[in-house]
Amino acid sequence: MVEHDESVIGVEHELGSFTVTAEAVASYCEALGETNPLYLDEEFARGTPYGGCIAPPLIFTTVNFRGVLPDPQVEFGNARFLGGERVEVLEPMRPGDTITAYAQVAEVYEKTGRSGRMVFVVRRTRYANQHGHDVALVDSSMVHREIEA
Amino acid sequence: MSAPPFEQRYFDDAELGDEFEEEYLATPERVATYLSVSRGNAQLDEEDGRFSDASGAQALGLERPIVPGVMSLSIITRLVTDWAGPAGRLRTLDASFRRPVLHGDRLRLLALVTDATDESGVGRVTLDVYLENERGERPLQGVAVVELPHRPR
Repeated sequence: MVEHDESVIGVEHELGSFTVTAEAVASYCEALGETNPLYLDEEFARGTPYGGCIAPPLIFTTVNFRGVLPDPQVEFGNARFLGGERVEVLEPMRPGDTITAYAQVAEVYEKTGRSGRMVFVVRRTRYANQHGHDVALVDSSMVHREIEA
Repeated sequence: MSAPPFEQRYFDDAELGDEFEEEYLATPERVATYLSVSRGNAQLDEEDGRFSDASGAQALGLERPIVPGVMSLSIITRLVTDWAGPAGRLRTLDASFRRPVLHGDRLRLLALVTDATDESGVGRVTLDVYLENERGERPLQGVAVVELPHRPR
């Protein structure tokens, strides 16, 4: 197994908080070509089971806590990229909500494929709203590998 | 076949093998708008230019600047949530990134119903989802589970 810091595995850290704003929702929707009135039209949204606008379920992907993520100090590779994400949506987020993120390194493992050796770092992030309710759980797999220049 | 957007989808109408799709053009302007609300990716872009700068992207071995992976995830989510309608709920999405989406790529957003189960009155539909570019490659593929209401009687 590649050298890394085992002491961070399974230890949850608070990363920080952000507020969901109607402006951020509008820009996020514009970028995606999203025109769903559930996110953008308060009058329409009042007539839905949510009783008002909610944010698109993956709005939290716009917030990235680089620099404060728990780091297992993997000593391998000259490149890293996002290999996959598993998202579990628990409750809707709404404009005005303050969301706090907590993350831990869940796992570090190796694989060898056709393109050579890879090391996977899986981080689990939990997002909770201002009422203390978890709204989403995300497992992100970051792949470390060696790429020839 | 494209699904009409924002209609309520009912569990009773979801059939195994149903397919639906939309199109999406990954323009530099859309990526810039995404970055304007995505401070972490904007910070990464400032460091190496992978999401906005042709020479920065080429230095990383990329043909053109790329779309952030989490933006691609949001794009496929849009397909699913628009199909599900306002009372539908995305519960899980499990996706793998196989290759980058490049600026200018014209994407097909595709979904296929692979399972539909009623668990104690809750209708759960499982979908295979993927993005396909005009070169026939699938930069992202995954599985989504949505809850749909039953049709009122």
